[in-house]
Amino acid sequence: MALLEVEDLRVAFGDTTAVDGVDFHVDQGRVTGLVGESGCGKSVTSLAVMGLLPRRGVTVSGTARFEGVDLLSLPRADMRRRRGSDLAMVFQDPLSSLNPVVQIGRQITEVLERHRGLRGEAARKEAEDLLDRVGIPDPRRRLGEYPHQLSGGMRQRVLIAIAVACAPRLLIADEPTTALDVTIQAQILELLKDLVDAEGTALLMITHDLGVVAGLCDEVNVLYSGRVVESASARDLFARPTHPYTVGLLGSIPRLDLPIDEPLEPIRGSIADVIRWKDGCAFAPRCDRVAEPCVDGEPPLIGTAHAHRCVMAEETV
Amino acid sequence: MSTDIEQRTLLDVKDLEVHFPIRSGVVVERTVGHVRAVDGVSLTIDAGRTYGLVGESGCGKTTLGRAVLRLEEPTAGSVWLDSTDVTALRSERLRRFRSKMQMVFQDPLGSLNPRHNVEMLLAEPLKVHGVGSKAERRRLATETLDAVGLPVSVMERYPHEFSGGQRQRLGIARALMLRPDLIVCDEPVSALDVSIQAQVMNLLDELQGEFGLTYLVIAHDLAVVRHLSDRVGVMYLGKLVEEADSEAIYERPRHPYTKALLSAVPQPDPDIEAGRERIILKGDLPSPANPPSGCRFRTRCPWAQDVCAEEAPVWREAADGHKVACHFDF
Ligand SMILES: Nc1ncnc2c1ncn2[C@@H]1O[C@H](COP(=O)(O)OP(=O)(O)O)[C@@H](O)[C@H]1O
Ligand SMILES: Nc1ncnc2c1ncn2[C@@H]1O[C@H](COP(=O)(O)OP(=O)(O)O)[C@@H](O)[C@H]1O
Ligand code: SF4
Ligand SMILES: [Mg+2]
Ligand SMILES: [Mg+2]
Repeated sequence: MALLEVEDLRVAFGDTTAVDGVDFHVDQGRVTGLVGESGCGKSVTSLAVMGLLPRRGVTVSGTARFEGVDLLSLPRADMRRRRGSDLAMVFQDPLSSLNPVVQIGRQITEVLERHRGLRGEAARKEAEDLLDRVGIPDPRRRLGEYPHQLSGGMRQRVLIAIAVACAPRLLIADEPTTALDVTIQAQILELLKDLVDAEGTALLMITHDLGVVAGLCDEVNVLYSGRVVESASARDLFARPTHPYTVGLLGSIPRLDLPIDEPLEPIRGSIADVIRWKDGCAFAPRCDRVAEPCVDGEPPLIGTAHAHRCVMAEETV
Repeated sequence: MSTDIEQRTLLDVKDLEVHFPIRSGVVVERTVGHVRAVDGVSLTIDAGRTYGLVGESGCGKTTLGRAVLRLEEPTAGSVWLDSTDVTALRSERLRRFRSKMQMVFQDPLGSLNPRHNVEMLLAEPLKVHGVGSKAERRRLATETLDAVGLPVSVMERYPHEFSGGQRQRLGIARALMLRPDLIVCDEPVSALDVSIQAQVMNLLDELQGEFGLTYLVIAHDLAVVRHLSDRVGVMYLGKLVEEADSEAIYERPRHPYTKALLSAVPQPDPDIEAGRERIILKGDLPSPANPPSGCRFRTRCPWAQDVCAEEAPVWREAADGHKVACHFDF
């Protein structure tokens, strides 16, 4: 059984559909990627799973089973208890997820107290160990500092320390390195890899960067306009990209390993050019292979281990 | 990238320094130090070519670009465009000269007046420089919109009505209106999604040929810079640490910082990722107000020796056309 199994997840803000039937799963101890461009529904998907979407004006349907229990239908208090201990999350912008007027140490011990019942010196000692584990030099001194006194990379480490404080079985990281410089990104990715390897934590890695996916993920789900258009093992996805959107993304990236004059092949148009999934393939307006069947109703999921949603793909694969 | 046989230097930046005073004190402000944002940079760009400047945030790329356009006053050094010393120009002559050099920004929306429609936005630089009649300005605007791949029908629309990629096309169109010689592109694609990044990069390429443009492209993304540039300079804490033709710098990086940067870029290929030797740099960027002695990179350099703290490495030619500032050959 998968650790997390998301089925037909739909989220709407009023009349605006943000997530439009997302399916994916995360296995125990594996790193699963959720990749796609801005606005495709990555963050909303993760917030729905974490139970962090506001109730007012938001409609959520589908299921998100964590060890068989549907998180979406859990009472709020139960979900609050699970957050932090069963599943934890790291956000892109550590500054806005840390409290600016509370010392780092206090923000960590708070979590330790709530979920593990640690208090006083024991909590403080554990917080220091956590900072040490995420590679923060001089952790004792850092405990007394405020978020603004740390660099972006250090703040992200603090956030990761808080997230792993209660040894969650699933860690969701939403673009954790997008705001960081490339050498700092390398440090943070290394840290995440070490942490999940050492603890056997499952990681749901949300990113727009296919390079990050290639380096970190075992499984990949490519999102477009609120739905998964292709899912496969990372190896398969890069070896045999099948959905035209995945192919287009890969053709758009300038690569360091290819000849310098290798032309880029961008995807035409923008994400504003869409049709609804119930009417056909949302990517059709931008797709080179578009044909009659593409806009003839909801595209089915084709394949199992390497699955995609393009009715035209089979012909060229 | 052009293939002109005759090469002519268009931009010549000599020993440029831009230091910002750090002020302190509540009642009486005093200068307590300087942020050495750009601290002695020399580079040249041939006409019709693209020079890419890379480095992590805070290393001084934007400040350098702005100083080239005299949007920032240099503390020392000079900037020559053709045979004019831009740093020596005053008031009216500087204002007129500015039409030869334009800038494209990372955030096109932030640089466009939200209350002006496209026609006004495009006509404005011409008006400021007293170019053409109203009809002529409109004709130029139409021509330029076409060049950047936007339909004339957008003329009456406002910036917020456009997607990110279209806004960047607008930003580029505006920079093109005065038909400049040099365009400084500061992180031109970093706010855009990958599929749109590729569109804009291809556009910059096309326009260079069409308008005979020379680019200074500033970006933190090494793959973007490699794709766009003929020559690349790597900056660290206000100084160039390495410079070479694009091909050479990526094939054979010589400075430890360049090596680390390149090894840190995640590649969209699991086999490359699994096999790579990543050079993980320790710690963060030191403050440019108080750079380390000797080699500025030494606090994070995996190969630093005693001499690195004592002496600043000279900017030397390690191979034909390949400059580096490091005490050693790697
Ligand atoms: N609070 C909200 N109210 C209305 N629309 C929202 C809200 N949050 C997200 N959306 C919309 O939902 C879609 C998916 O957003 P998001 O999940 O944040 O995308 P991603 O993380 O992939 O960039 C977008 O079109 C976005 O505009
Ligand atoms: N107007 C200014 N006043 C004071 N410091 C500045 C100013 N502009 C930039 N700086 C500082 O100069 C350094 C270089 O900044 P910048 O040129 O923006 O770097 P980059 O573009 O490479 O990220 C940074 O430390 C920055 O904080
Ligand atoms: S001079 Fe020394 S510290 Fe600087 S890059 Fe070379 S080896 Fe490293
Ligand atoms: Mg997001
Ligand atoms: Mg900048």
